[in-house]
Amino acid sequence: MAASSLLSTSRRVYGGIARLPVLSGGGVRTICVSSSRPAYKLVNPPRLEDVSWVEVQERAAHSIFMNELLRGMMVVIGHMFKEPATINYPFEKGPLSPRFRGEHALRRYPSGEERCIACKLCEAVCPAQAITIEAEERPDGSRRTTRYDIDMTKCIYCGLCQEACPVDAIVEGPNFEYSTETREELLYNKDKLLTNGDRWEAEIAANLEADHLYR
Amino acid sequence: MSGILSGLLKSSPAVVLRHAKKGALQGNLLIPACARTAATWHPDPKYFEKIGGPCFVPEGGFVTPIEGGRQLKPFYNLLEMPVEKKIRNIQLNFGPQHPAAHGVLRLVLEMDGETIVRADPHIGLLHRGTEKLIEYKTYMQALPYFDRLDYVSMMCNEQCFSLAIEKLLNIEIPIRAKWIRVLFGEITRILNHIMGITTHALDVGAMTPFFWMFEEREKLCEFYERVSGARMHANYVRPGGVQYDLPLGLMDDIYDWATKFNQRIDELEDVLTNNRIWKQRTAGIGILSAEDAVLWGMSGVMLRGSGIKWDLRKSQPYDAYHLVDFDVPVGSHGDCYDRYLVRVEEMRQSLKIIHQCLNKMPPGEIKVDDNKVVPPSRKEMKESMEALIHHFKLYTEGVQVPPGTTYTAIEAPKGEFGVYLVSDGTSRPYRCKIKAPGFAHLAAIDHMGREHMLADIVAIIGTLDVVFGEVDR
Amino acid sequence: MSLVDKLGNLIRAVKQNGGLFKSIRTFYFTDDLKWGTHVGTDKYGNRYFENNYYFMGRNRWVLFNDAFRLEYDGSQIPPEWHQWMHYTTDKTPIERPPVQHRWMVQHEENKTGSSKDTYYPYSTTRTKIESWMPKNLR
Repeated sequence: MAASSLLSTSRRVYGGIARLPVLSGGGVRTICVSSSRPAYKLVNPPRLEDVSWVEVQERAAHSIFMNELLRGMMVVIGHMFKEPATINYPFEKGPLSPRFRGEHALRRYPSGEERCIACKLCEAVCPAQAITIEAEERPDGSRRTTRYDIDMTKCIYCGLCQEACPVDAIVEGPNFEYSTETREELLYNKDKLLTNGDRWEAEIAANLEADHLYR
Repeated sequence: MSGILSGLLKSSPAVVLRHAKKGALQGNLLIPACARTAATWHPDPKYFEKIGGPCFVPEGGFVTPIEGGRQLKPFYNLLEMPVEKKIRNIQLNFGPQHPAAHGVLRLVLEMDGETIVRADPHIGLLHRGTEKLIEYKTYMQALPYFDRLDYVSMMCNEQCFSLAIEKLLNIEIPIRAKWIRVLFGEITRILNHIMGITTHALDVGAMTPFFWMFEEREKLCEFYERVSGARMHANYVRPGGVQYDLPLGLMDDIYDWATKFNQRIDELEDVLTNNRIWKQRTAGIGILSAEDAVLWGMSGVMLRGSGIKWDLRKSQPYDAYHLVDFDVPVGSHGDCYDRYLVRVEEMRQSLKIIHQCLNKMPPGEIKVDDNKVVPPSRKEMKESMEALIHHFKLYTEGVQVPPGTTYTAIEAPKGEFGVYLVSDGTSRPYRCKIKAPGFAHLAAIDHMGREHMLADIVAIIGTLDVVFGEVDR
Repeated sequence: MSLVDKLGNLIRAVKQNGGLFKSIRTFYFTDDLKWGTHVGTDKYGNRYFENNYYFMGRNRWVLFNDAFRLEYDGSQIPPEWHQWMHYTTDKTPIERPPVQHRWMVQHEENKTGSSKDTYYPYSTTRTKIESWMPKNLR
């Protein structure tokens, strides 16, 4: 019922709809309009054939005096006096949230012991397979990684590794200013990641704390 | 065909030249313009001045008078009559480096002068094999790939994939998650239409709205960043809800922005809508009749611009769309101008939906409370052994989706974005076919662009709103 | 915002930057001249300013240590000020000191391109295959 009413109204709008075999036939797709009203709004309705003299005059006046061009130009000129919306990077910077996913870092416990226990969840979940982990037992008997490489050129910054990490070891920190001149500088190894963590701990910890209720 | 051409017309389709000097190599010389000229011999211009320039030799073989009243005499010892040659039109390569090609579209245009005879879009330059890759990923891992399909409407793609998985899992997500999805779906729609309209305007010569609206787009990207942690590739809408709850204060900021955004649209319209140049470039260009729009498999704005009342948000509402009140703009002429108007009106309607979302946002959960589908919260995971096991299972093996098939479609900003998902009961999809609206739209460029001028092709590409992430997949 | 406001701002900015000559110097290095309250200085001598007269995005800014001259870089801001600069928090590290651990190391700017300190990847594991070296040849 709803479908037929929908079609009949559109037939009024556009004559060509009547010839549609796809919609008016058996119905390829079931149409259920559960909304209270089938609210469609016609923009730019077809112009009537009999145009009144006043309208013709008006159109001619618009055309001759370039109303719409002047109006647009005024808006543009008005914008010239507004403050520019650009910011002066690197002296001014745009906002970031605590959830921002930037450069990776490996964190440590407050005691200085590295958090990562080589459970390899991040390696397993990484959609781009950017993480490589090798693990061995340390002399003191605890299991730690010997290799933790992230290929930052492969990484798609989806944040699944930090979600997967059960000990909050791998995080995507707030830093995004780590562009390099060569590709190989982006092949991060464990030392680089740990140093990142040691450098950025102040902010990483603050961000985790700020967002802890949502996680 | 007996027109007289003066000078060396290298660019004319084919000029059969006859020269009246003894000892010339041959009686006939054919210079097809599309051929490489390196291997072709050209008489030097001085020679042509002597005989008054080249001329067409009509089929009959007689010679017409040329400029200056001089007549080119037939070559007295002409051995062979001019051979009839097949004349081909100029082929023009448009893109993939052309800035108006919206990415990596390579369009081979067959031209007759400046008129398009045939437009042949070549795609595949951004093909990444997403569909095949997804078959080797768990459902969770496959989600980021959807951000990268239509990379100007990220969350809508995610929403479609998540809805498909939810349908197979047969779960109902919490109401707050639905509203959040609608809220960000509409933000995404505005994000996309800002991109679509302003780059369209930029391509046909109006640069200013692009700068104005991208300021707003920046703010929307910031909302994305605050909610998900990434400005574009959000990875936020997950199967079973959304990843995080909205942070405190975000809704206030969205409200602040939403109250002001209408003025920005007004400014855009002041500059474009009635502007005669904009109208001349778009009105009556790329007309698609309602019948053709359906036959070509159009969806979204391309369909509505032609006067067909079809919107998946109305006809088969998903998430919380049955709870919001909005109008769907429909055009009537089916040209670029109507589609522009439809897009502008859709932005206003999206704004209306955003206001409703902000007002009606219910409290509650944002994920399904089922640890077989959705990983437990970090607090739970660290305290409960069972939650930890679920956590490990979900992040390694992934969600086990019961066997089944679904085609789930949403009204993405560009049109009907659908995912045909076949599950065989494991944690990886057996097949994931992605129905991208841009693909069908691009296919019709030949139909729409025929008999138009070269510059109109640019306007048509703009109005198609193609993004190659989804066309090539 | 009227012209008078702009003129007033300019005069204030020139005054704060220490006279006309120094203002020209600041303008040369930062392409901008602003005035605001000096909220703090980090250990590298970068000075941080705030003035909510400007819109968000421009209301917090840094003037890098003069010693850097034109060698300034966005990555020279240490993490504790980084979060304030990026509006992640409204509290400056002076108002709320950051966590301190003995294992935390000094911030370092992005060293790419400076051949000496640039990070280049190396293996953190022992090689799996070790070449055999005959004893009598050694």
